[in-house]
Amino acid sequence: MALLELEEVRAGYGATSVLHGVSLSVPEGQIVSLLGANGAGKTTTLRSITGGVHWTGDIRFAGRSLRRMHTEDVVRCGIAHVPEGRGILTELTVDENLKLGSYLRRDGAAVRKDYDRVFEYFPVLRERRGLSASTLSGGEQQMLALARAFLMKPRLMLLDEPSLGLAPLIVRAIFEIIRTINTEDRVAVLLVEQNARLALEMSSDAYVLEVGRVAVSGTSSELKGNDAVRRSYLGY
Amino acid sequence: MQELLQQIVSGIATGGIFASLALALVLIYNAMGLVNFAQGEMAMLATFAAFTLINRGVSYWIAFPLTLVIAFAGGILIQRIVIRPVERAPILTLVIVTLGLATLLNGLAGFFFGYLPRSFPSPFSAQTANILGAFVSYQDLGVIAVTAVVLVAIYLLLQHTTVGLTMRAAAHHPEPSRLLGVHVSWMLALGWGLASAVGAVSGIMVAPILLLEPNMMQTVIIYAFAAAVLGGIESPLGAVVGGVIVGVTVNLAGAYLPFVGGDLQLAVALAIIVAVLVLKPNGLFGRPNVRRV
Amino acid sequence: MSIFKLIRTAPPRYWLVVVVVLFFVGLPTVIDSFQASEWAQALILAIAIMGLNILVGYSGQLSLGHGAFMALGAYTSAILAHRYKMDYLLTIPIAGLLTGTVGFLFGVPALRLSALYLALATFALAVVTPSLIKRPVELTGGVHGLFLSPPDPPQFAKDAFTAVTGSAMTSDQWIYYVTLACALVLFWLAWNLVRHRAGRAMRAIRDGEVAAAASGVNIAGYKTLAFGISALYAGIAGSLFGMAVGYVSPDTFPVALSIQLIVGAVVGGLASIPGPLLGGIFVYFLPIESNQWIPAQTWIPSQIASTVEKAGPAVTYGAVLILIMIFAPNGVVGLVTTGYARVRRRLRGPGDRETGQIPPDPQAV
Repeated sequence: MALLELEEVRAGYGATSVLHGVSLSVPEGQIVSLLGANGAGKTTTLRSITGGVHWTGDIRFAGRSLRRMHTEDVVRCGIAHVPEGRGILTELTVDENLKLGSYLRRDGAAVRKDYDRVFEYFPVLRERRGLSASTLSGGEQQMLALARAFLMKPRLMLLDEPSLGLAPLIVRAIFEIIRTINTEDRVAVLLVEQNARLALEMSSDAYVLEVGRVAVSGTSSELKGNDAVRRSYLGY
Repeated sequence: MQELLQQIVSGIATGGIFASLALALVLIYNAMGLVNFAQGEMAMLATFAAFTLINRGVSYWIAFPLTLVIAFAGGILIQRIVIRPVERAPILTLVIVTLGLATLLNGLAGFFFGYLPRSFPSPFSAQTANILGAFVSYQDLGVIAVTAVVLVAIYLLLQHTTVGLTMRAAAHHPEPSRLLGVHVSWMLALGWGLASAVGAVSGIMVAPILLLEPNMMQTVIIYAFAAAVLGGIESPLGAVVGGVIVGVTVNLAGAYLPFVGGDLQLAVALAIIVAVLVLKPNGLFGRPNVRRV
Repeated sequence: MSIFKLIRTAPPRYWLVVVVVLFFVGLPTVIDSFQASEWAQALILAIAIMGLNILVGYSGQLSLGHGAFMALGAYTSAILAHRYKMDYLLTIPIAGLLTGTVGFLFGVPALRLSALYLALATFALAVVTPSLIKRPVELTGGVHGLFLSPPDPPQFAKDAFTAVTGSAMTSDQWIYYVTLACALVLFWLAWNLVRHRAGRAMRAIRDGEVAAAASGVNIAGYKTLAFGISALYAGIAGSLFGMAVGYVSPDTFPVALSIQLIVGAVVGGLASIPGPLLGGIFVYFLPIESNQWIPAQTWIPSQIASTVEKAGPAVTYGAVLILIMIFAPNGVVGLVTTGYARVRRRLRGPGDRETGQIPPDPQAV
């Protein structure tokens, strides 16, 4: 049984239907890529998981169906979702944002250790701790979002286009940290990315969405190796 | 000179009353982008609750915090029952709902307590203290002290506790907060509860002066509007500063401008509102971008 | 088109209007003079509510202070009649135009305010109005107000009335007919306004200012126009009110009046023409009926009865306002139209297309 399972998920906004029966699964502790062009439904898939959009079908996390659960309750099951736009609370300080990542946890000593690690990965956050989160640059905000998600000590992270709008150097740094979190803390990741090449390097499995359906799926090495798939679906 | 000082201190005391109610307005505005037209009536009902307790022999300083708890619960109840069904409606619908709520609460107060004005006790002695040659009443000092304590407590709660943090997060960023596990809907209810409790303070402090009756807060809410608008409707600090400024201005205008007198002090508040909205709509501490379109 | 064809092809809605008009024209012949005065006041409220509706329902600006405009109209007429001995009927349009101009000027700074701030400022105005009226004692009679002598019906009206009913026309009945005439004219004007360009422009503004501006609508112009028109209606209503009641005083224009107007507008149905009529009737007769009904219930002890009398209207207004906003934001008219539409759909079956009636707009406040 995989950690996260989507079964024939249909979802949409009002009258418009975006997902027309998506099935995928994320095994425990693995990184899975969700690829596809703009408008294919990648973000909608993530939003379905955390209850941000109405869906039918079934979504199961650790065997438990997420149907009709409110977003905050889904999250409390152990899923951290870094949305498009990063969801930084700009009215609050960097420190307050981080605190909101860890406030649900009861294991005080472990939290402190995790804070140390966060500042180790992202020293800039320690420097800007007391400042308003709105003063951070795009890359720094992405780091804050990731740090905050990490502090939630989730079993699964949903990352929506972490590389968007960031310089290649920063992107590489961030992806390194994602990989570290995945290997050291056994956090599974469902990674939505337009940058297919980067995503396939990190993930073990991949799904390609096209117009709300899974067009291609398989292990990342399979997809990487298949020239036809790369050219028609992944753009390189 | 002494008289001026007296008037100013008196104005600060009234300003504290305005500030408490204005702070309640700001709290709800921050949570929902809504000006709660029923805030004054909620405070009035809470004051009636205090009155009932005190009449049954509960000592003032026990009745006071007990009333705040009752007001807190009442605020949560109102949010759950009346506000939540229309949460996602356009803002003007919400305004009309709060107007309806104000009318309803006023009627309920009239129904349960009648319209006869009653005297409400003040815990502070009627004597005066001699400060710098001016005679400042203990009543005024007491009101200033109580409102200061309440305001500081709110500040500490919001800025330095986890609950306050989640409330602020839910108020300013509801969707991202949900993704952090914050029960946004409950935070909204808490916000209403807190606002109701803070507003109740203004009711309890003003009742000895205005006499307790269902229409008691109708003028106070206008002053509170002026204070909130002057300070910047989003700024808790603005509510406090605005309250003090309005209190002092209105007091001095009433005392020193012959054509204003007692009954046109309210018009001074209206003038302040109009002046701020025309000249500097965001108030002293507000920010240019409006939260809710 | 021949008259017979007109009659046959007119939509049922027009027949309803004819029936309603005939009802109101004939009403004083079957009720007594005092009741005629009551209905006149209900019509007066309906006029003011119609004005408010143009502002709120059609152009999307919320004013909680229209009682102040009514006061302005009332006092203008009263002062002109009382001090300058002007014929009262003449003062009505003057009061209306004056109030309308003030409203128009009001609308200019109002443009800069967000909907919320406008509501707040007008609410403050409504609360302050009584004190503002009291001040210039010489002009307004201060706390005591001004008394107005009841107008004598002109001969032609007296003759017509006696011919129909056999009894003499009272002053109150004459006032009723004046009010009815004003109401008919003003409702007809409003109907035309919303059907044509101005109405469409206002609705476009209400539904989305940015889009409206992008389509070239003169936002500022129409919004201030809406303010002016709504103030004009309120001013005429106020003027008629003074005539109907016989005096004006600061206490007849409390903030509760402004709230009554909003209740009436909302209950009747915003952005509809018949709505304000229903709203006016509801708002006027509710406290009266409950005042009469409650004491008549012998099982309610008298102390409770007296407080219910006083508090009842407020509780009912408040509860009704809340419930309508939650369950029926389009008011009674909205309920009727959606109900009617549902019934028609059932009767006519899914294949039919509905004829192009003018439905009340979906509530956008």
